Amino acid sequence: MTAQALDTSTRTALADLLLAMADDEFVLGFWDSEWTGIAPLLEEDVAFASLAQDEIGHAQALYRLLADLDGGDPDAIAFGRRPEEYRHARLLDHPRTDWAFSVARRFLYDTADAARLDALVASAYAPLAEVVAKMRREETYHLRHMVAWLERLATGGDQPRARLVAALERLWPDALCVLDGVEGDDLLVEAGVLAEPLADVRRRWLAGLAPELARLGLPGPPPAAPAVGCRGPDRGGDFRWLWEQFTMVRRSDPEAVW
Amino acid sequence: MQVWEVFRREREGGAMQHAGNLLAPDAELASHYAREFYGRRQESVRLWIVPRAAILDLDDPDLLQPPFDRSFKKPAGYSTEIKAKLAAARSRAGAAEEPKR
Repeated sequence: MTAQALDTSTRTALADLLLAMADDEFVLGFWDSEWTGIAPLLEEDVAFASLAQDEIGHAQALYRLLADLDGGDPDAIAFGRRPEEYRHARLLDHPRTDWAFSVARRFLYDTADAARLDALVASAYAPLAEVVAKMRREETYHLRHMVAWLERLATGGDQPRARLVAALERLWPDALCVLDGVEGDDLLVEAGVLAEPLADVRRRWLAGLAPELARLGLPGPPPAAPAVGCRGPDRGGDFRWLWEQFTMVRRSDPEAVW
Repeated sequence: MQVWEVFRREREGGAMQHAGNLLAPDAELASHYAREFYGRRQESVRLWIVPRAAILDLDDPDLLQPPFDRSFKKPAGYSTEIKAKLAAARSRAGAAEEPKR
């Protein structure tokens, strides 16, 4: 299926989904890059920075898809918007905080994203299916890396465990937003772009996580996501700070050629 | 924490070569770190990750650098010897030049 085969409202819904996914990957990549130089051990420092770069790479591919669909320049979409125009999930408004917090966030994000990618890998919109197939190969590995850390913190003594539990409790409500806050997913399902509505993806994600969390005795999700504001426009000061960091160079000279 | 030695193959059919080493608490994290250290730029098609403790280390000079001349065990050393003897034999026979083939 090509973009021309989609009616206007379906196309708008696809653009909204692509932007939400791209912004998720983009903002997560920048937050996690904040560990460069200060991760718990040198090897993890290199590995975590590399994972963060992978996310920026995924964002780049998704912004490219969006630019192909809607016109525009991927760099301008990525760096040229005001903070309130970003559509990432609220999970990604938190700063990196401590190591357990960053591990907990990545674990929640990577598992939710995996469920989302599962629902897109057979997408009727072929350009998206291709990108998703590539992303899944890397994300499977990211997830294994994060599960390894989740297990070690959960079973690694009182302090790591207490920090991990506190982080999960703090992050859970906002994690539900990763599979929320996108309009028109029913249209995407009808067009075969998405395999199932996001609410079903979310149920599948949570059902898949339950045994793992039970095994490690970690807290599960609250009954519902925040009612409003899952994907902006109200962002806290932390995201605004990050936005100033990652747009600083471009804002200094938007016309510069790199 | 343990030291892990990493070997990598650059392309299919190539030899496994020592890439370097890293620190990791266990095999699972060692494999994650090896991937990032020696594979993140797609420079490897295979990695071997070996605990340094599993490596049998030989550096005894009596085993590896024995005192007698061992050049006769080298193909090049042996041929050097033979060439010298051949040259001496030719000069005794009055044939200064190596025969043309």
